[in-house]
Amino acid sequence: MRDMIDECEQTAYSAGLAAGLAVALAEAPGITPPGRVAAVPTAALPPGWAITPASTVGHRMAGQEGISFATTGGPIGPVDGQLTQFCAHLGAVRLGVTRRLLEWAVEYLSGRTVGGEPTISKQLVLGVLADVQTAVEAARRSLQVSGTVPAAVVDVHDRVTTLDWEAAKLLGASGYVAGTPTRSAYVAQLTANCWLPREGVS
Amino acid sequence: MIELDPPLRALRDRCRDAAADLRSRALSVDADPADMADHLDSPTLAMVRAASTPKRFQDPSGWQGEYTDSCLSRAVASLELAGGDAGLLTANTGPALAGIAVDALGSETQQEFFYGSIADGRTWTFFAMTEDARGSDATAMETRLDPDPDGGYRLFGAKRYVGNGSRGATGVVFARTGRSPLSIRAAIVRCPTPGFAGHALEMTGLRGALISELSFDGVHVPREMLLGAHLPASRRGIWGASRTFNVMRIQIAAMALGVAFAARDYVCDQRPGWSGHELTTARLAAARALLYDAANEVDLSPDDRRTPSIAKLHLTDLAVQVTGWAANALGPGSLLLHPLLEKWCRDVRAFEFMDGTSNILRLHITHGIATRRPTS
Repeated sequence: MRDMIDECEQTAYSAGLAAGLAVALAEAPGITPPGRVAAVPTAALPPGWAITPASTVGHRMAGQEGISFATTGGPIGPVDGQLTQFCAHLGAVRLGVTRRLLEWAVEYLSGRTVGGEPTISKQLVLGVLADVQTAVEAARRSLQVSGTVPAAVVDVHDRVTTLDWEAAKLLGASGYVAGTPTRSAYVAQLTANCWLPREGVS
Repeated sequence: MIELDPPLRALRDRCRDAAADLRSRALSVDADPADMADHLDSPTLAMVRAASTPKRFQDPSGWQGEYTDSCLSRAVASLELAGGDAGLLTANTGPALAGIAVDALGSETQQEFFYGSIADGRTWTFFAMTEDARGSDATAMETRLDPDPDGGYRLFGAKRYVGNGSRGATGVVFARTGRSPLSIRAAIVRCPTPGFAGHALEMTGLRGALISELSFDGVHVPREMLLGAHLPASRRGIWGASRTFNVMRIQIAAMALGVAFAARDYVCDQRPGWSGHELTTARLAAARALLYDAANEVDLSPDDRRTPSIAKLHLTDLAVQVTGWAANALGPGSLLLHPLLEKWCRDVRAFEFMDGTSNILRLHITHGIATRRPTS
């Protein structure tokens, strides 16, 4: 489990969301989502799955990240150990995406000034960077130690969603322009939305 | 805690009814924000244009009344209309944020010119403050108004993240006439005009706003288009505009909260009888009370930056939380199966950077503490 957590995170960090997701899916052959739609790498569509038409802006953004949404036409998948393990790996993928976003934010802030001082040196900014870095470390340990516990895995995903938003806010409006790493983080959230079971909801 | 009086309740109810029209157009404008041809005659957008225009400039044959006579009425209306769709509100023609600036800084003649130039209902306006390299640090802006030997000024520089900038025909642009903070002034700019260029940026959400970047290469600005000449020097420019920012922050907070309520209502519609919304509902009710109180405070103390900053900081954050909660409440794949919900998740994030990011607001909120002298 620990090796796969590392591999998923490192692949997403170095090669992006779709590559990381492909690694996670390869470890879970035959897996089906707990809802009616799955997020999969466009370049590695599992056999028998059909891509849903790209009808919304969210679809378009996902397509630009190499992610498609697909259906199997079959029954909704069970919430079992395989799904939990896959979602833990997907959590690691998201951590890699978060680290890319954080690096982008540091680079962006290093090139800006406020009141004649580097923006990166401001305490409010450094505080956020420290908090996000700390939370990434904590989330990774959660996946390594509790990656078989469904509630813990869902909790990590929810924490990552919050972290991504905190990091994106550092970019101001520039983080809202399509094509920046914030898009990857958002599409990662859409991806997780497809795969994560939610208690009491099907 | 503010209780709405009968006229404000009537305004709330009317806007709530009108919101459905915006909702029906939301996904279309999100997909193609440049194509507004089928939407500008929307009865709700026409109402918003008229109601956000001061009474003396309104078409007597159209809507009678306004909701811009107080910050509280703006908040009430914006909350309800954004519950229909915030993207449509920002996609509309009419005075918008530029109107707030002209109301605050413009002479009667300038206001007549501004509102006359948009009276056709087909004219977008823009409010250009932010610069790419300077972000929220308005006092460091570099766009400048140089004296024109032939009279008036020449505008040089660039602005970024300007709503409707690329399609606006009348806008308010902030620029400096010298190096001191008091030299930052606002001018009405008409487009197209030589030296002006604008193009839309591809944005993640609130796409109806058609957020753009603008450049000015010697754009001629007649002297009479410089706002605030009739005001004391201390109130002509950036400092005079601070009241404008306070109103804008309340309005943006109201829109964020409107989207959050929409997401809550959507979940309740999808899951009738489910009690899992109660905590979110309670938070939203408290947030609405905070919004109304803050808007009323702006009406009473228009120079106080702290209260509107608190409202915007809390409500924009809450809106992000609530849309995320809604996505979880509707289960796996909800953001693909419910396109409006997915759109709202993107839209609410835009409120974060509009008219003061969270960190800028935090500085406003704690300014009084940071500058307090120690007691001996």
